[in-house]
Amino acid sequence: MQKQYDIYIVGLGGQGVLTIGDLLAQAGLAKDIPVNFYPRKGMSQRGGFVQGQLRFGSSNVGASIPRKGADLVVSMERSEALKCAGYCKPGCDFLLYDDVWVTTDVIAKREKYPELDDVKAEIKTAGANLYCLSSEHLPVVNGVPARANMFILGALLSNTSLKELFTLDEIISALQNFMPKNLESNIAAVKAGYECALKAE
Amino acid sequence: MKRMMISGNEAVAYAALHAGAKVISGYPGTPSSEVIGSLMKKPPFEGTHIEWSTNEKVAIEVAATCAWAGKRALCTMKMSGLNVAYDSMIGIAHSGVIGGLVVYVADDPGTTSGMCEQDSRGFALMSDMVMLEPGSVAETYDMVKYAFDLSEKIQEPVFVRSVTVVAQSHAVVDVEDRTMPDPSVPVVKKDVNKYAKAGAAMCMAQHQNCIDNLKKGAEIIEKDGLNKLHLGKKGGIGIISVSSVKPYVEEGLNIAESMGWKREDVSTLEAICTIPFPDNEIRKLLEHCGTIVVAEELEPYMERQVCILAFQTGAKVRVVGKLDGTLSRIGAYNALNVAKGVMAAANLPFDESIMTAGDDVAAKSLPRPITTCAGCPHRGTYLAINKAIRNAKLKKDEVIVTGDIGCTILGMNPPFNTVWMEISMGASIPCAHGFYFAGVDKPIFATIGDSTFIHNGMPGLVNAVQHNTNITVIIMDNGWTAMTGMQVNPNTASEFQREGDVNVDLVELVQHMGVKHFYVTDPYDLDGMTAVLDECLTIKGLKVVIARRECAIQAGRRKVKYAKMHVDENLCINCNVCINTTGCSALIPGEKNVHIDPNACNGCSLCSQVCPKKAIIKEEI
Repeated sequence: MQKQYDIYIVGLGGQGVLTIGDLLAQAGLAKDIPVNFYPRKGMSQRGGFVQGQLRFGSSNVGASIPRKGADLVVSMERSEALKCAGYCKPGCDFLLYDDVWVTTDVIAKREKYPELDDVKAEIKTAGANLYCLSSEHLPVVNGVPARANMFILGALLSNTSLKELFTLDEIISALQNFMPKNLESNIAAVKAGYECALKAE
Repeated sequence: MKRMMISGNEAVAYAALHAGAKVISGYPGTPSSEVIGSLMKKPPFEGTHIEWSTNEKVAIEVAATCAWAGKRALCTMKMSGLNVAYDSMIGIAHSGVIGGLVVYVADDPGTTSGMCEQDSRGFALMSDMVMLEPGSVAETYDMVKYAFDLSEKIQEPVFVRSVTVVAQSHAVVDVEDRTMPDPSVPVVKKDVNKYAKAGAAMCMAQHQNCIDNLKKGAEIIEKDGLNKLHLGKKGGIGIISVSSVKPYVEEGLNIAESMGWKREDVSTLEAICTIPFPDNEIRKLLEHCGTIVVAEELEPYMERQVCILAFQTGAKVRVVGKLDGTLSRIGAYNALNVAKGVMAAANLPFDESIMTAGDDVAAKSLPRPITTCAGCPHRGTYLAINKAIRNAKLKKDEVIVTGDIGCTILGMNPPFNTVWMEISMGASIPCAHGFYFAGVDKPIFATIGDSTFIHNGMPGLVNAVQHNTNITVIIMDNGWTAMTGMQVNPNTASEFQREGDVNVDLVELVQHMGVKHFYVTDPYDLDGMTAVLDECLTIKGLKVVIARRECAIQAGRRKVKYAKMHVDENLCINCNVCINTTGCSALIPGEKNVHIDPNACNGCSLCSQVCPKKAIIKEEI
């Protein structure tokens, strides 16, 4: 029987957070691993909070991961990472992609945007193994910056416990079957992420 | 048969196609929209009429009469939609049906979409209707098919109730082929005793018939073994789980074990539905268990029934749930709620802090008030209202602006802070009307979107016309039912109507409703729209303004070209008035001047119209 493996992933509308979830769910289907993928985008258009919960291992599983229950946590934005601390299972892997999306209130100095070190400290206090990536790591494919979500997906496959579930080839095959658009550059982005050797902080 | 990764809502659509539905109707509403939304994305299904109706009451009437004509029909809505449909729903339940009628309603425990957290099971109780409550995507598919059969067996409409986490989850389902709807010409039998209500005898006979049919439904569900009963340790703990809580039971027991509970063979009842109550199974549990935990989201409907049956049977059983204060009536459940119930049943301490773990950290994240998209025409309307209020030498907190459901409510958020309130679809106009007759002596605005106006705003406007209420109604007409995912409504342009459908133009419609002071304006033209509102504030009586401009997201999708904006770096003094006034996400602050993200800009030009230095310039197309 497949072990239960829960992924909690957040970011903002427009970053492609849910595409990561879709791809992993499709990869699960291809491999016959039972999965429930619950994407939550609420009322968000571009820039609103987006959350995805993937639960692998059982077809009889509720959609929501309990607090302190996620095996893998991913945040595609620095401030949003703070919303994930409660979901970290002690010893889980946490990938923070340090993208920064400010709001009008930050520009007008009515709100303060969180400092990277403070965010890292909170994640570590939650008991996670923290890995960081930033947009500086993002490769350029055929003159265009790669899509961050594909890059992150690649980095997850080589650096976190996700590698116990899926291989690079299985994810590339899910891309080929499920996302034929921009296939070449997406595969390049996944591979570039896969090549990144990250150290737990 | 095809193995597919689909959502709970898509499962409803596929199951209805497989069941041979002849009519599928509904009104968009999160979390239910993708049932019809997914069907509309596909080529037309010959033999099946699929429509977005003007509101849920219309939708249920359309579907019900299809069923009265002996054909299968599906009607879909969100929980608030059932409130609208209910006036007819209960009448249809009392009349019964001939063909299968399935009413799909999606509740939203945890309020992911910003509406009342209501438990629609209460409606099934009130109208004595079967309400099946699938707890997973695959179960949703099976239960919709089952509901069509059951509806025909008991000659009653059957609810299928989902919740957000099931309706919007994606999982694997073996999807069967479509069954063509019965093509025969229906013969509708005239039967006033069944289909009319004007008479005490017929009404009471219909009511009794409906109660009897629910009982039949309960017998069939029990015979089919839909409610799964497992009797474990005699005198031990029993858990009744309902709907989406069912799959959390095993996980909850594991968590309780990790918290120090000693595992025993727990008795369980996984209930496929609350109504009809699984009375016989509950009685067996009452006889067998010492303590029963009832794990259901929102209202304690099942738990109350357990207490009633315990009283009737004289069972000395402790019931753990909401009524003893253990579990919450608020929010969506997960395995921790089950664990909490088990710990309480075993008289063991439960560390409450895990329920809110990380909330303190999350509170340090940046607040992101939901705002309008770049290029949203509603932005122009909020700016024009704010400007007209200033022009009239009034303060924003003395001019009431009532709001309505949909994207138009976003004007309540910064930087606009324009809209004051919302109640339900179409309420904005009667609310403004009520404030006026309460004696409010300052101008009052009502704001409402085009689809919301057609849904339920028109009766309020007719009321205001009749009483010549001194208010200004602004219909923010972006041509789409936008917030729920861009569905077509009657006012959507002809070119986007489905084949055979015609456009009902809002301007013509309102003009013919007897409005004397009527204006059509463009929210992208800030000065022009403000001048219209300035004039409205000088006129006594009812004024109606249609602020007409297509939703920027939809216009963008079909490549409508607006000239993009750019900032003249020599003129920009970096005062940030553009950002602070419009809050547009395409405006990016810089060290020396603001610049505009060309990928995000939709060319509405409102930033240029508020710039005090005229530093934002339209590019040539």
